[in-house]
Amino acid sequence: MSGAVRGRVRAAEMLPRLWPLVALAAVIVVIALAASFAPAVLQRRTTQALINLIAVVGLYVFVGNSGILSFGNVAFMAVGAYVSALLTMKPAAKSVFLPDLPAIIAHAEWPTLPGALAGGVAAALVALVVGWPLMRLSGVSASIATFAILVVAYVVFGNWTTVTGGQNSLMGLPPYVDLWTAVAWAVAAMVIAFAYQETRSALLLRASREDEAAAQATGVNVVLHRLIAFVISAFLSGIAGVLLGHFLGIVRVENFYLDLTFLIVAMLIIGGRGSLTGAVAGAVVIAVLTELLREIEIGFQVGKTTIAAPAGVGDVILALIMLLIILFRPQGIAGGRELTWPFGRT
Amino acid sequence: MSASVPLLAISGLVVRYGAVVAVRGVDLQVGEGEVVSIVGPNGAGKTSLISAVAGLVTPAEGTITFAGKPLGGIPLEDVVAQGIALVPEGRHIFASLTVTENMMLGATIRRDAQAVAADVDRFFAMFPILGERRHRPAGHLSGGEQQQLAIARALLSRPRLLMLDEPSLGLAPTLVDQVYTLFKTIRDQGVTILLVEQNAERVFAVSDRVYVISGGEFGLSGSAGEIKSDPRFDAAYFGVRMREAASGL
Amino acid sequence: MERLVQTLVDAVSVGSLYALTALGIGLIFGVMRLINFAHGELITIAAYTLLALFGQPIPVMLFGAIAVAIVLALLTERVAFRPLRNADPTTLLISSFAVSFFLQKLLILVVGSRLKGLDFLPELGRQIEFAGIRLQMLQIVTILVSIVIVTALTWFLQATRLGLHMRAAAEDFRMARVLGVRANNVIAMAFALSGILAAAVSCLIVVQTGVVQPRMGVQLVIIAFVGTVIGGLGSLSGAALGGFLVGAASILLQALLPPDLRAFREAFVFIAVALVLLFRPQGLIPAPGLKERI
Repeated sequence: MSGAVRGRVRAAEMLPRLWPLVALAAVIVVIALAASFAPAVLQRRTTQALINLIAVVGLYVFVGNSGILSFGNVAFMAVGAYVSALLTMKPAAKSVFLPDLPAIIAHAEWPTLPGALAGGVAAALVALVVGWPLMRLSGVSASIATFAILVVAYVVFGNWTTVTGGQNSLMGLPPYVDLWTAVAWAVAAMVIAFAYQETRSALLLRASREDEAAAQATGVNVVLHRLIAFVISAFLSGIAGVLLGHFLGIVRVENFYLDLTFLIVAMLIIGGRGSLTGAVAGAVVIAVLTELLREIEIGFQVGKTTIAAPAGVGDVILALIMLLIILFRPQGIAGGRELTWPFGRT
Repeated sequence: MSASVPLLAISGLVVRYGAVVAVRGVDLQVGEGEVVSIVGPNGAGKTSLISAVAGLVTPAEGTITFAGKPLGGIPLEDVVAQGIALVPEGRHIFASLTVTENMMLGATIRRDAQAVAADVDRFFAMFPILGERRHRPAGHLSGGEQQQLAIARALLSRPRLLMLDEPSLGLAPTLVDQVYTLFKTIRDQGVTILLVEQNAERVFAVSDRVYVISGGEFGLSGSAGEIKSDPRFDAAYFGVRMREAASGL
Repeated sequence: MERLVQTLVDAVSVGSLYALTALGIGLIFGVMRLINFAHGELITIAAYTLLALFGQPIPVMLFGAIAVAIVLALLTERVAFRPLRNADPTTLLISSFAVSFFLQKLLILVVGSRLKGLDFLPELGRQIEFAGIRLQMLQIVTILVSIVIVTALTWFLQATRLGLHMRAAAEDFRMARVLGVRANNVIAMAFALSGILAAAVSCLIVVQTGVVQPRMGVQLVIIAFVGTVIGGLGSLSGAALGGFLVGAASILLQALLPPDLRAFREAFVFIAVALVLLFRPQGLIPAPGLKERI
C-alpha cells in the first residue's frame, strides 16, 4: 500500500474515533453562532452556560474516569478566579479592595491569557498537593475528602482578607470574556478532556473503576492515575473559574460554594457522568431548561393577569430532575456512552 | 428410605450471574430425615445452588419446592420462617455481638421466649465452650468455636432443613470430626441436613445420599456407599464428561 | 480559672450538639452505608416547625418538631433511598445530595431565604452560678439532654430486640436477613431515630441562636459529618466521639488560636479530618464488619 493511501486510510480510521469530540464541538459552535444573532442578554446567558460547560467538563475528567464523585472542583474554580483576578486587575483597582497585598502582586498587571493560564495552573498545583495524599482513599472516603477541600477553600478564601478581600466582593476584573472567548475555551476544554481520556493512563483508571482490587493486583498504580485525572480536572475547573470571574467582573467567595457545586454536579449526573458526551449534554440540557424556567418565572400575560411561577422553583425542579435521574436512569442521559459515528464502519 | 414426598425438591435449576452460568439445570431431592451431600471442587456451583434455595440469589430458571410449597420469589427474610436455616460459607458470625446475642438472632422468627431460653441453655450444654464465653464478643472465638456458634444459631430457629456450606473449611481435622459427629446428633433429632462440601471423604461417613457436582451440573448421584465405591467418582468430581470417562476405563 | 471552666463547659456543650448530629448520620450509615446529606434538612425543617407552631404550649411545639422530623425522615427513606438499597455507594451519595438540595430549595420556595427570629425558651439563655463560676443554663441543658438521649439510644440498642436487629444489620446486613431480620423495619427504625435526634438538635440550636434560616442544618451537618468520618464510619460510638471531638475542638481552637487565625479554625478542623482519613482511614473507633472499601 502506498504511503498516500496508507495516510488516507489512517485518516479515515481517525475520524470515527474523533467523532464524539468533533460532533460535540460542532454543536457548541452552532449554538454560539445562533446566539450571536440573538439579543445581548441571551448572548450573555449563553456565555455563562458555556462557562458552566467548561466546569462540568472539568468535573467529568475526574469523576467520569475515576468513578469517584468530587465535591471539591468548585474550590479549584475559586483558586483560578482569585489568582487570575490578582494577576490581571489594574493595580489601582487592587489597591482599593486589597490594600495590604504584597508588592509583587499589587503591582502586577498581566495580560489576560497568561493570567487565565496562571489561574488554571494554580488550581492544578493545589490539586497536586492536596490530591497526592487524598487519592489513596477510595470511594466514599475520597468523596468526603473532596468535600473537605470545598469547605476549607471556602473558609480560607472567606477569611484571608489581605489576599482575597474575605467576604467582600472583589470587583474590577478585566471583563474580557465574551461569547467567542467562552466558545474557544469550551472547545479547548473538550479537546483536552477528550485527548486525556484516550490516553493509557485514563484507560487504566477506568479499568480500576470497575474493580479496584483487580486493577491493583495487576500492578496498576491506581493512585498515580487518579492523581493525574484530578490535576487535569482541577486545571479545567480553574479555567472555568477564571472565565466566570472575568465574565461577571467580580469574584465573591459565596459564589464558589455549595450552590455552584450542586449545579455542576447536577449537570454532570443528569447528562451522564460516564462520558464527555454526557458532560456536554448535561450542560446543554440544563442551560436550556434554565432558560425555560426563567421564562416561566417571569410569567406570561393572560388577559390582565400574569401567570408566573414563584421565584426559586427552578432550583426545586433541577433538584427533582437530578433525583429522578439517579433513581430511574442513574447513568444519565448519555448512558455512559460517547456519540457514535453515524456513517457505519469505514 | 425417605417419605414419598421429598422435603426439598429442585427441578431444572439454572443460576446465572450476568453471562456466567453457575448452575446449569440440576434436579435434586432431599427426603425428610435424610442427610444429603453435594460434593464438588471450587467453583462447581455448590454455593450458588444452596444460595438459590436459601433465597440469596434468584434462579434464572427452575423450581424449588419445600414441603410441597414452591419457594420461588419469597423474600430473603421469609425463607427461615419456612423452616430452612443456612450456615453460610465463612460462618458470618456477628463479631461485635456477644455469643448469647448471636444465638438470640437465630431465634429471630420465634415468638416463644421461654422455649427459646430453654433451647439456648440446651445448646450451651451441648457446646460447653460457648456456654463459658456466652457474654464475650463472638469475634473472640476460635474458628471451630465460631462454627459451633453458627450451627447452634441456625438450629435455634427450629428448622426442618439445615443447610451448611463448606462447614469444614478452615477448620483443623479434629474440629471437623467434632462438627461431623454433631451432624449425626442433629439428624437424630429429626432435622434434615443438606451439606455442601469440597472434602468428599468426610461426607461419605455421615451422608445417606451424595450428589457430585462439577461445572454447574450433577455428574453422579446415589447412596453414599454407591458413590464412594464408584470408579467414576474422580472423573465426575473433576468434570471429565461421563462418556469419555467410561470409555477411558 | 473561671475562663478555663467556661471554655471547657462550652466545648463540652458544643461537642455534645455535634455528637448528637453525628449520631443521626452514623445510625443511617450503619444500616445502609448511606451518608445522609438530607439530615441537615431534617434539622432545618424541624426548626421551621417550631416557628410554625409558635404560640402553642411548649410540649406541643416540641412534639410537633419531633413528629415532623420523624415523618420526613421516613418519607425520604421510602421515596428516595429504598429504591436504591442495593446501589453502589457513590449512587447513594449522589441521591442523598440531591434529596438534601431538593428539600432545601423547596423550603426556600415556601418560606423564603431570609432568616427569621424565633424566641423559643428564652429562659434557658439565663446565666446561672455553679461553684462560683458563671455558666449559661442552655449549656448545662444541652449537656444533660445529650446524656439522656445517648443513654436512651444505648439502652434501646443494647436491651431491645429491634436494637439487637439493628446492630446485627449494621455489621452484616445480609446475614441478618438470612436469619429473618426484616430489612425494612430495621432501616425505618434507623431513620425514625435519626429524625428524633435531628429534632433534639434543632430545638437546642434554635434556643441558642434564636434564629431559623434555610441553611442552618447544612452548616451543622457538614461539620458533624466530618466528625462521623473521624470517629469511624459505621460505628455509632465512633460517630458520637468524632462529632464530640470536632465540636469541642472548634471551641478550644477558638480560645487557643491567636486572633487573626481564629476565623480559620474550621479550616484546621477539616484539615484534621483529611489527616485522620489518611493515617487511619477506618477512623478512631472502626466499625466491625466494615469492608476496607467504604
